[in-house]
Amino acid sequence: MIGLGRGGKRSLAFVESSPFRNIDPRTKLLMSLWVSLAIMLPLQKLAVVMLLYALMLAYGRLLPSALRQLWRLKWVLLGLLILDWWIVSLELALSVVLRIILMAGAFAFFFSTTTTAELRKSLEWMHVPYRYAFSITLAFQSLGYLEDQWKQILEAQRSRGAWRLNDNHDTWLPRVRNMVALTVPSIVLTTKRAWTATEAAYARGFDTPHYRPYQDLTFSWRDLVLVVVLALASAALILWR
Amino acid sequence: MNGSVKLNGLHTALTPMWKLAEQAGMVFQNPGAQLLTDSVVQEIIFGLEQLGWSKRKIDARLEQVLTTFDLMPLRDRSPQKLSDGEKQKVALAAVMAREPAALILDEPLSMLDVTAEQDLLNEVGRVCGEGTAVVFFEHREARLRRIEDLKRLELNGRRSRTLLSPVPFPSGRIPPFRVQVRDVGVTLGATRVLDGIDVDFDGGELIAIVGRNGTGKTTFLRALTGLQTHDGCVTLTGEREGLDLGLVFQNPDLQLFNASVREEMLYRIPDPDLDWYRWLLRMLALEDYETTPPLLLSEGEKKRLGLGVVLMRRPRHGLLLDEPSLGQDGQHKATLIKVLRQLTEQGHLIIFTTHDLELAKQADRVLLLGEDGLTADGPADAIFSSRDLWEAVNLAVDVPDYDNPQKVNREGS
Repeated sequence: MIGLGRGGKRSLAFVESSPFRNIDPRTKLLMSLWVSLAIMLPLQKLAVVMLLYALMLAYGRLLPSALRQLWRLKWVLLGLLILDWWIVSLELALSVVLRIILMAGAFAFFFSTTTTAELRKSLEWMHVPYRYAFSITLAFQSLGYLEDQWKQILEAQRSRGAWRLNDNHDTWLPRVRNMVALTVPSIVLTTKRAWTATEAAYARGFDTPHYRPYQDLTFSWRDLVLVVVLALASAALILWR
Repeated sequence: MNGSVKLNGLHTALTPMWKLAEQAGMVFQNPGAQLLTDSVVQEIIFGLEQLGWSKRKIDARLEQVLTTFDLMPLRDRSPQKLSDGEKQKVALAAVMAREPAALILDEPLSMLDVTAEQDLLNEVGRVCGEGTAVVFFEHREARLRRIEDLKRLELNGRRSRTLLSPVPFPSGRIPPFRVQVRDVGVTLGATRVLDGIDVDFDGGELIAIVGRNGTGKTTFLRALTGLQTHDGCVTLTGEREGLDLGLVFQNPDLQLFNASVREEMLYRIPDPDLDWYRWLLRMLALEDYETTPPLLLSEGEKKRLGLGVVLMRRPRHGLLLDEPSLGQDGQHKATLIKVLRQLTEQGHLIIFTTHDLELAKQADRVLLLGEDGLTADGPADAIFSSRDLWEAVNLAVDVPDYDNPQKVNREGS
């Protein structure tokens, strides 16, 4: 029997070997929402949630990629920490930084372990109409292509001499020229891609009333355990004074 | 649009698209932009889900299509990470899986290797035999004559302008040089695309690189220009300055952004040589479009303009071209070879990748890339006369002689 394909590299670092690959996407979505709601907690509880989330990422083999993403924000976080500490207090500074980290990382494990097909099925389960669920996943999937496309345009323009690295040290005019050489093809290609993708989808019967999903989502005992743990954690956080 | 089009009695302008899609499948020219999901399997399933097929029926059809199009090894890969030829195979498989009553194919062979081309023609012959109507748009009509059950061949379009230029090609010769490629290898993600390539190229050579889809032809060109990080080294001997090779990309839309063809050609060229510019415009049959915005040109014209903008810069050592004959008719291909020949006579090195064996036959030297790397390297005549070499790179078909087209039977023999 042929199962669902799992694709190659996507826009976010996709971790095929993660144990969370076997978890129902609805459960993962619930966990992400729970983590993102935790930003409203006071500092002590926030720190506990943060620790639990880090342990969960480590178990899911997602911690290295999450830390790499976080490293990109290092200067913003450091700036905020110093500024808030200086102006208000260390407690507020730590709260703000932890909240930003949680906000940035809340959905990391969902998108690092969920294919766009699974995302679409989760949205359909949440009664998002198929046509919108499909459009959302197509848009999400396209984010990764935009990055590749930008790189290709840069290489192509360098090859013809229309984009020059040394120009960055010159006046503003060459910089604008460099930017135009990259943005115009980017807009054209993105528009063409969107147009062709729409036509291709309709040419393959998109929006038909006969649509029948190939695979349904299955809620297993693992999902049940995770939902129960999540409920217990919520209760503990509420009861903790 | 004036007039009307009816498909099995359905007025195309008044019928919902999904209803038309049940009657006819269409594969567009640009395969990359029409892939909608994140795995090859999902791509094929997408159209079958829309038909409301059961899971069992989809599984059976999926197995069949993956085998027919030789996509089993790629089934879990992301379509966007495949080579253009592989993307084209996926796009064709996704549409043909739906078994439509009519198939409309816009230049479906343009990016396919000879084996994949043969497989598609066989499949088209098969579905035609079962009653499917196939409308096939193609520049090279000889290929279409190979389809069994071909009912009608209409040759349309205006004849291209005479391309021979009265303006002489600029004279002059560049000093001899040699490019040495030693132990070059490239890894993309988890895939080792190229491994241990050792080869020398001399100035003045016209070289074709041929191989199956996904064997790393484009990656090799990128490695030669330094755009692709690689193991091993590419060195230039005989000159003090660094290697300067212009790369003409397969997709010209990556390079075009100015308001007119003239501005595009002259963009950032200090003290442009206007004689050279005029010569290029004439040779590339773009004289009538000097003030036309490049984005309004046809795909073939854009492709020629893409070559023009790189040639206008006059790369010192030569040119690398990725599938230069894509979207070009026979006359423009002849012109292309003429321009490339004149450049080699000046001592430039020209290397191009292609699936178009008619074009490859025009080269001095042919490199065959297989899954194990560089499988053969030799004069074009010698390479084309050895069937064993083609079989070694899994292009296990007779090298087609399009001057004497023969119809292909369903087994592809």
